[in-house]
Amino acid sequence: MEKVIYTAMSGAQHALMAQQIHANNLANVDTTGFRADFERVSSTALQGDGFDSRVLASELTPGTDFSAAALVSTGRTLDVGIRGNGWLAVQTAEGEEAYTRAGNINLESDGRLTVNGRAVLGEGGELVLPDYRDLDIGSDGTITVTPPGGGALIEAGRIKLVNPETSQLVKGTDGLFRLDSGETAESDENVILASGHLEDSNVNAVDEMIQSLQMTRNFELQVKLMQSSDEQAKLGNEMISA
Amino acid sequence: MQTALWVSKTGLAAMDAKLTTISNNLANVDTTGFKKDRIAFQDLFYQVQVQPGAQLDQQNESPSGIQLGNGVRVVGTQKVFTTGDYETTSNQLDLAINGQGFFQVELPNGETAYTRDGQFQVNSDSVVVNASGLPLLPQITVPENTTAISIGTDGTVSATISGQAEAQELGQVTLVNFVNPAGLAATGGNLYQATEASGDAVEGVPGEDSFGALKQYALENSNVSVVEEMVDMIATQRAYEMNAKVVAASDEMLQYVSQNM
Repeated sequence: MEKVIYTAMSGAQHALMAQQIHANNLANVDTTGFRADFERVSSTALQGDGFDSRVLASELTPGTDFSAAALVSTGRTLDVGIRGNGWLAVQTAEGEEAYTRAGNINLESDGRLTVNGRAVLGEGGELVLPDYRDLDIGSDGTITVTPPGGGALIEAGRIKLVNPETSQLVKGTDGLFRLDSGETAESDENVILASGHLEDSNVNAVDEMIQSLQMTRNFELQVKLMQSSDEQAKLGNEMISA
Repeated sequence: MQTALWVSKTGLAAMDAKLTTISNNLANVDTTGFKKDRIAFQDLFYQVQVQPGAQLDQQNESPSGIQLGNGVRVVGTQKVFTTGDYETTSNQLDLAINGQGFFQVELPNGETAYTRDGQFQVNSDSVVVNASGLPLLPQITVPENTTAISIGTDGTVSATISGQAEAQELGQVTLVNFVNPAGLAATGGNLYQATEASGDAVEGVPGEDSFGALKQYALENSNVSVVEEMVDMIATQRAYEMNAKVVAASDEMLQYVSQNM
């Protein structure tokens, strides 16, 4: 039997999977703090007897594009964008610490700060704010509030900001980042916050579009190969039966 | 069937929801006391095809797994309570709050609703009501033969009555505030109602503590910025188109298979 059809199949399968990654990136082109995924593929030579032209395409974990995106001004004090490198620490539903670039912080009625429903972590655990009249977030994450009756400013806590090596970070199934060692990252003094700003998604829309088009054509090529392999096998069968 | 189709569908739905928010904001660009909405997106969960570190055989483990994203979802919309611009008017019952706080009005069912819209009028029962006819709380009744009403920055309402030398005090406008105003439920008609997320209303005198002072003969405009919304609209429209393009590309791939194999 002709084996080339399986080789072509692995290529077509990769094209389908890559298409999903590009579709996911484009769907998140407007998601605050989203980091784009790369598709990655490697060649795997099949071991065993036979002519060694059988090299299949096999997918690897999509890598993550860690480049920073543009900050957009929103004018809302509780929106924070990170200038350059760094991450906000949040607590997942399981109580673990995870990292995100999304800075659209919400104030809950009990004074807790959350991002998309997950508690924002401060230096000593969850951040809880007292009643206040005005609030400021400094560039190092320090939150100061004016008490309801006015008067001296009170320091209400400090957002935990971390900056581990990007090579140690992995994207979880919930879209948050964690250290691959499972440990928690040390806070970093050099991360700079911009209050009143949010970070865009770092998806490059044009890039994704072109790659998606390329995958469509790539897919067609693989299907063409399957066709010609089918053709060959058919011709062989005809010769034998003749 | 191909997952990319469904992933792009979530993108289309999200952009659609965003456009609805933008068009509602733009429609209310001239609504007194309107606070714009903002939509928040989040990436959907990732689907694991191969677990990282899975055992390939006794000696070797897979160096990296495969995780594929499933698209985007709308986490929620959020009212943005920045103050709008102030506009002066010549109506003596126009009030603007210069700072934090909400006026209280009484709904027909007896519950209290909250608003930043200070366009008040007097109804046929001489009661001060808002533009939709809901009475202001605490209720203020304007006596007959009133020639002018003045409202102080602390909310004290007094009336000059023809034939009387001294102004008569009618009552006091109070304001309420919430720990988390973004958690209020917008019910339409420029009104908000308290929810679990907003916390309970805290009442106070205008100009004291965290409450803003009142300004008579002024109104607070909508806080919608037209330019911002227009730019947002353009970006959303293009993002929608790109997601539609991926749907077309995926469709083409499937079509090619079904027609050529």
